[in-house]
Amino acid sequence: MEEILKSLGFEFGKFAWQVANFLVLLFLLKKFAYKPILNMLDERKKSIEDAINNAETAKNEAEKMRKEYEARLAEAKQDAQDIIAKATKLGEEIKKDIVTTAQNEATKAIQRAQEEITREKAQAIAALRDEVAILAVMAAGKILGKAITAADHEKLVKDFVAEVGDLKC
Amino acid sequence: MSAEGGHHGPIDPLFNPVIPGTEYHLPIYNFVITSWVIILILTITAILATKNMKRFPKGIQNVWEYAVEGLFGFYGGIMGEERARKYGPFLTTCFLYILLCNYSGLIPGAAMIKGFVPPTNNISITAGMSIMVFLSIFYFGIRAKGIGFFKHFFQPMAFLFILNVIEELVRPVSLSLRLYGNIYGEEMIIGKLAEMVPFLVPLPMMVLGVLTGGIQAFVFTLLASTYIAGATEEHH
Repeated sequence: MEEILKSLGFEFGKFAWQVANFLVLLFLLKKFAYKPILNMLDERKKSIEDAINNAETAKNEAEKMRKEYEARLAEAKQDAQDIIAKATKLGEEIKKDIVTTAQNEATKAIQRAQEEITREKAQAIAALRDEVAILAVMAAGKILGKAITAADHEKLVKDFVAEVGDLKC
Repeated sequence: MSAEGGHHGPIDPLFNPVIPGTEYHLPIYNFVITSWVIILILTITAILATKNMKRFPKGIQNVWEYAVEGLFGFYGGIMGEERARKYGPFLTTCFLYILLCNYSGLIPGAAMIKGFVPPTNNISITAGMSIMVFLSIFYFGIRAKGIGFFKHFFQPMAFLFILNVIEELVRPVSLSLRLYGNIYGEEMIIGKLAEMVPFLVPLPMMVLGVLTGGIQAFVFTLLASTYIAGATEEHH
């Protein structure tokens, strides 16, 4: 065994040095390389996972919000339409009211005017009748050649009026 | 010098100081200096990469992260992510150290300059690496399964115990010889070619050396990880 080792150039001193050097290197690299690097890789992995999860959550939230807003928008559109419909209906009603009122007013005004006309006419006829009677009596007096007394005059007018009173003008 | 396998390298050990208060020497071999430089390079780049880590990696941090993530992912494919986490540091250290050792042999002046001797072309050093794997199999196995780890020596039949022990013992031998033989052979060829025709001719061999260096580091780590995976497996 020793012969073989020696013929290969085995030296215990070198062997021992190598073992020592390797252990030192193992210690140094554990401290300065593997620990911090593995920690970093873990940390990065975690942060990437978190980022992906967060993105997923944010996406879901955004989707939810979008749906909510869409629903709200639809609602608002519906509301607007309702309001327009209501306003239109109200406008129609008001229009109808106004027209009806105006028609009534007009009818009433016409009626009033007719009444007024009738009354005026009646008054005019009455006034005319008196005037005509007086004129007629005066004309009659002229024809008779004598003045008619006040009493006669009045009596004549009354008679005349009574006679023609029934006549429609 | 048989240790240098025929290279006319610098005298080994480079320094041989006496340990104060004793009569023993502490030989500082050339490869030890190289090994320290490799350790320094790895450690300094690691410190630079991790001292101010960014969420979006750049430069050296990216290189280290890429290496660690890739290698740990590779072990994960063999033994599952959880065990890769536990045994990854050991395996990654094997890989990076062997890789740099192998490639150090391709730098001009390797094995010629004092203190610059590529470590992995020496059986003592590859044996040192292999013994770490050998011990780690036991260490990780016992830590994972307790005394139950030794059960596999008697499986599938009790009388196969001897065979299982031999298998276990052959592993570090094959690991160290494979690594040593490949790197030593390759560097020997490059060296001899460079001696004969120093211009252009050794180039294809050096390209091959880049391949061999990577492949051998990879094979060593792959085998080590399958050994450790086998030793720590929950049910057999």
